[in-house]
Amino acid sequence: MKNILLEDTIVAIITPPGEGGIAALRIAGNDARSILSKHFKPQQKNRGVKPFLMRFGFFVDDSKNVIDEIMTVYMPAGKSYTGCEQVEIFCHGGRQVVRLIQDTIIGSGARMAEPGEFTKLAFLAGKIDLTKAESVAEIISANTSSSFETAREHLLGAYSEHIGMLREQLIDILAEIEASIDYPEEEIDPKDQEKLISDFDDLLGKISELKKSYKGGRIINEGFKIAIGGRPNAGKSSLFNLLLRQQRALVTPKAGTTRDYLSEWIDIDGFKVNIIDTAGLRKAGGTIEKEGQKSAKSILKSADLVLWLVDISSKGYKKQIETDLQDITNNHILKLYNKIDKSASSPEHPDTDTILISCKTEKGISQLKKEISARINATIPDLTAGVVVTSARHKQKFSNAEKMIKAARDKCLEKESPELPAFDLREALKELDEITGKVYNEDILGRIFAKFCIGK
Amino acid sequence: MNYDFDVIIIGGGHAGVEAADVSARMGKKAGLITMDASKLALMSCNPAIGGIGKSHLVKEIDALGGLMGKAIDATGIQFRRLNLSRGPAVWSTRVQADRIKYNDYVVNYIKEQHNIEVIEALAGKLLTENGSICGVLTENGDKITCRTVIICSGTFLGGLIHIGPTKIKAGRLGENAAYKLSDSLDELGFELGRLKTGTPPRLNGDTIDFDKCELQPGDTPIPYYTNDCNRPDFKQMPCYLTYTTAETKAIVSKHFNDSPIFSGQINSTGPRYCPSIEDKFYRFADKERHQLFLEPEGNGTNEIYPNGFSTALPEEIQHKAIRTVEGLEKVEITKPGYAVEYDYCPAYQIKPNLETKRVSGLFFAGQINGTSGYEEAAGQGLMAGINAVLYLEKEKPFILDRSEAYLGVMIDDLTTRSTTEPYRLFTSRAEYRLAIREDNARDRMYRYARRFNLVDEAKLDAFDKLVADTSTEIGLLKSNRIHISQLGEVGERFKRKDSISLEEYLKQPGVTVHDLIPLLGNFNGDFSDNREILERAAIDIKYAGYIEKQQREINKFKKMENESIPEQFDYTDITGLKNEAKEKFTRFRPISLGQASRIEGITPGDVAVLSIYLKKHKDTITK
Ligand SMILES: Cc1cc2nc3c(=O)[nH]c(=O)nc-3n(C[C@H](O)[C@H](O)[C@H](O)COP(=O)(O)OP(=O)(O)OC[C@H]3O[C@@H](n4cnc5c(N)ncnc54)[C@H](O)[C@@H]3O)c2cc1C
Ligand SMILES: Nc1nc2c(ncn2[C@@H]2O[C@H](COP(=O)(O)OP(=O)(O)OP(=O)(O)O)[C@@H](O)[C@H]2O)c(=O)[nH]1
Ligand SMILES: [Mg+2]
Repeated sequence: MKNILLEDTIVAIITPPGEGGIAALRIAGNDARSILSKHFKPQQKNRGVKPFLMRFGFFVDDSKNVIDEIMTVYMPAGKSYTGCEQVEIFCHGGRQVVRLIQDTIIGSGARMAEPGEFTKLAFLAGKIDLTKAESVAEIISANTSSSFETAREHLLGAYSEHIGMLREQLIDILAEIEASIDYPEEEIDPKDQEKLISDFDDLLGKISELKKSYKGGRIINEGFKIAIGGRPNAGKSSLFNLLLRQQRALVTPKAGTTRDYLSEWIDIDGFKVNIIDTAGLRKAGGTIEKEGQKSAKSILKSADLVLWLVDISSKGYKKQIETDLQDITNNHILKLYNKIDKSASSPEHPDTDTILISCKTEKGISQLKKEISARINATIPDLTAGVVVTSARHKQKFSNAEKMIKAARDKCLEKESPELPAFDLREALKELDEITGKVYNEDILGRIFAKFCIGK
Repeated sequence: MNYDFDVIIIGGGHAGVEAADVSARMGKKAGLITMDASKLALMSCNPAIGGIGKSHLVKEIDALGGLMGKAIDATGIQFRRLNLSRGPAVWSTRVQADRIKYNDYVVNYIKEQHNIEVIEALAGKLLTENGSICGVLTENGDKITCRTVIICSGTFLGGLIHIGPTKIKAGRLGENAAYKLSDSLDELGFELGRLKTGTPPRLNGDTIDFDKCELQPGDTPIPYYTNDCNRPDFKQMPCYLTYTTAETKAIVSKHFNDSPIFSGQINSTGPRYCPSIEDKFYRFADKERHQLFLEPEGNGTNEIYPNGFSTALPEEIQHKAIRTVEGLEKVEITKPGYAVEYDYCPAYQIKPNLETKRVSGLFFAGQINGTSGYEEAAGQGLMAGINAVLYLEKEKPFILDRSEAYLGVMIDDLTTRSTTEPYRLFTSRAEYRLAIREDNARDRMYRYARRFNLVDEAKLDAFDKLVADTSTEIGLLKSNRIHISQLGEVGERFKRKDSISLEEYLKQPGVTVHDLIPLLGNFNGDFSDNREILERAAIDIKYAGYIEKQQREINKFKKMENESIPEQFDYTDITGLKNEAKEKFTRFRPISLGQASRIEGITPGDVAVLSIYLKKHKDTITK
């Protein structure tokens, strides 16, 4: 049964950012099942996807590389929350893994769900009841107002103004092209090709800048992610507990204590920081430990900052550092020499990006915090200076718009007949309008629920 | 005198004749009241039918069995296709008319319709009973009873002509105007507004030096509108292109203040897309010259229409100014140019079936709704005629949506935006432009023509065959290959291949069916020699991807259009809806959520609240 309310297949992460060891994604739409089949490898061959049965296996990317171990369940159309064919995937938390999974699903034809889109579908499918129209009206105009939100609001003013400007620029180009269609016999000076293309390039440049700003903007939205890595027994969990100011992780003298990672949130200088303790990395270890190490590596790779812990009381630690770090592709690594209380003599001058600490005596910890704080401030975009994209949904819209504008530009360059670039530009305009909500096209309900958070 | 009709049409212009014709053909007794029975469908201004966007309307009118296409094909003197260097969605036919022959053709055509009676009179008063129309009183005092009325009064409703300081009560120079009818509409409570348009002087062609002008011949093969037109001995007449000079600019600029447009004598809004010559020099002061097209008014006359020189300057200044144009140094003016102001009823007052909200059975078509142009008028006349009949039959109204037809785009624009300047169609008004083209007007309209029995069975069948032949042709274009050496520059894009399919070739940027045609000689006669089939097939191939994309958009759009809102829906009770939105909704009375969302000033939030309310109260709201 095809769902007529939803033509596309949509996907979103439905667990809140960062909390918990498990994250969930939801796919809804006519291709939900086929997308799952493409990327799910059941652990046991005879235990493939079946309605309502939770299955265990692996999520693989297009070239069949395993991204994560997952549990998944499929619900046929008419029998799910959204009323559409629906799939839920539970994977290990860690934003990067989840995002990778989500990107893979988008790559296979789904699009990112609009905020509140699942709720909207559920409502339309009669699965939830919206009691009062008035309350909806309130939701539409409601504003949250934490201090962080206020800063964002402030940003948003400049933000929508900026998009408004891009929109004007886009309309200018479009008008140019439209005029040449509707007035072929008039002597409108057609802007020469060169000028038109340079207008295109100017616009594309601005959009590309905006897209780039998402790198920092994402952090505003999702928090700054710090991963603690190192060999077993280096003191990672001890540091984790210290930063959290609570005994969250198990600490024992035994190497290989932490097997799966732990993720928590702390506040540093008013910024949300996601801090993750990972399993120690070493060559040996059983299957479980190996799995733990695998997820540790992917977390370390995607973190905004890696705290690489080294036990300087262990022999040959200096030599190990280099080989260990070769495995970790991340440009933001801060080396921490731990257990300086144990070592008879402090190490001969350490490298610049190294801090000496002791989790036991807490020596060096305040210096560490200062350093972390400095690093966050260096990564966070200057909120007052420019316009920043903080939402993944917006970034996707910008990418779509960029794609359409590029297509239009190329067609103008190839001297394709103008109604085709005009079509592309109108599509691009729609993408921008969906960000500012200026033009109301068809998705009435989509707009209502835009005030809900994605996946609620 | 005492008459009774099913449908009374007031005004025998382009709107009126279509309305009368279609209602008569749908079996109703139609009475066409018009001031001068010999002037049916007279072209008040430019002697041409079609042009960008407008030609799409003509094709749609024709596919719905209307008369405009047939009339112009029979009486055109020059046929051209515009925008050929652009894509098929914006190809547009423009035909130069023999103004008098066109008018004669329509007079005879209407005469032959046995269900139409032409009544030469001035309609003065609308008669109503319990909110429904029941008759018309002429200015002579004759009473004509009826069950529906379609007003197609053109520029005559409260018409006032301006030539310099001179003012004349008339809808067209030398004719009368309808003032009583305006009063009657006002008495019924309609809001009336005022618009303005203008026309250039007409010239004596014998006094023009055409050698100084650029020749503009017609196209071959001749792009007729209808598919069965045949005029074996017909020879096209050329048009000419010339330019104003620095002197023209100087004279016109010196006399800005003598034009009623600038002197304050005229306050109403004119069409921005069709400015007078004084407007052009005023607003585009840095432009040194403007082009003028010299268009013959017909075969049996030497009168010339200088397209682009619309003016309301005093006659002697018109005379002085036009003699500075290249080739017109010795020209004689046969009729002066002028501006005309007229009444219209802002279109929020009509429903999408063109019936007024205030008086049932009363329909408006053409200028009265704020449009300008013959094609726009004819299209509305046809739609109003069909809807008047459906109203009499108590059937569901006939409403085309924006994704189906330019007719739909136009009427939707009127009823959701209520224009305040003369409205004309442009292709850019159609957001589903790639899907609604000249070439597929029949694909889009024939099912309705069939439903209302508007087109001969034989024609409909012939079209079915054309559709089938087109698919065969597409198959051939896919299966036949061509060596890349035959493709010139385009061939160089395929370095690694010896040959490509004709389909692939067509899909190349910049390649059109016109590039393909000469190549087909290389194939042994499999391809159809019907150019139309070939064009249809090529368009299908070239735009497949785009049309598919557009179709997805259309599907989304249709969903909203199908969320209907009951006609008498009360908006006052919706809590959470802004007062401003309540007022707008009540004023426009949208028939669907889609329409509601397009009303000017309505925000997404407003529509959202409305949508939720409708969903929630689905069971209690009677549709
Ligand atoms: C001076 C002038 C300049 C124009 N310039 C342009 C232009 O630049 N561009 C453009 O697109 N269009 C222009 N037009 C408009 C174009 O002519 C009209 O849009 C088109 O003719 C409208 O068609 P219609 O059927 O609505 O009305 P019309 O063609 O105006 O016909 C109306 C008919 O109704 C009759 N009538 C009206 N009221 C009554 C009544 N009460 N009783 C009996 N009969 C009545 C009239 O006698 C007339 O025959 C111009 C018109 C004029 C007069
Ligand atoms: N003396 C001293 N001991 C420390 C310090 N930091 C950690 N330890 C001890 O080292 C041992 C291992 O600490 P953990 O925090 O569990 O180390 P880990 O890196 O999390 O180890 P795995 O989870 O096994 O990879 C514990 O016995 C800690 O008490 C320190 O600064 N000084
Ligand atoms: Mg540990």
